[in-house]
Amino acid sequence: MTVGRRDGRAGQDVLRRVGEASVLILISLAGGPKHGYALIQDIKELADVELGPGTLYGALDRLERLGLIEPLPAEDRRHPYRITVPGAAALRVHLDEVERVSAAGRLRLQLGGI
Amino acid sequence: MDDSRAARLVQGVLRCYPVRWRRRHGDEAAELAALLIRDGTPAGSIVLSYLAGAARAWLTPRPGRRLSTVACALLAMACSVGLSAGLLASAGPARAASTSSARAPAPPAQCRTSAAGPVPAVIAATDHAQMIIWAAGHGRAC
Repeated sequence: MTVGRRDGRAGQDVLRRVGEASVLILISLAGGPKHGYALIQDIKELADVELGPGTLYGALDRLERLGLIEPLPAEDRRHPYRITVPGAAALRVHLDEVERVSAAGRLRLQLGGI
Repeated sequence: MDDSRAARLVQGVLRCYPVRWRRRHGDEAAELAALLIRDGTPAGSIVLSYLAGAARAWLTPRPGRRLSTVACALLAMACSVGLSAGLLASAGPARAASTSSARAPAPPAQCRTSAAGPVPAVIAATDHAQMIIWAAGHGRAC
């Protein structure tokens, strides 16, 4: 999948509607391939969010359908996943967008004197 | 809740997922649940999470599912129509005879041939049934 090019709009934030769990999974996988248990542990450390296993598999399936992650050959019963190039691009666009909104929010707080 | 009971519960919940999902993630999901329970995650929250996940897995539209659903529905409809046709073909004339005997005295335990058209009870039935009875019995009620 070419992020932002499928419908002709460059830099479109495809992660806007996928949910927090999917974004956290992508952030975790940006650090290297991981399987389900490692993802849950990493996200707990990274964001202090405990992903439920049902939520995890739902998000993994969704991200794979979008072409943002891909499965690696199974190790025993575990299926590791890695982020794809379009996945990394989508994450970058999303984080830029979050950063932009965050900066705007901070500025407004500053200007409002709150 | 002891570990074996929790594992059985998780296995039961994992059966709620579509077969395709279970083939792909089933073993890993069971192992993941066991690891999380070992780490102190309450089995109840794992079960609830898998239950919600199963509902989502069924509700998520997948390419091919719609087509197969339509194919199944068509097959079920075809079977239903075939079965109805069979039942009507076999039971219709008997019903017609019993109904006509309720409306008007009819010769008991006798086969009779309708000379010019269907028997009154058959006329009261739907067009579809009529067609089937006509086709099956050639207007003969027994």
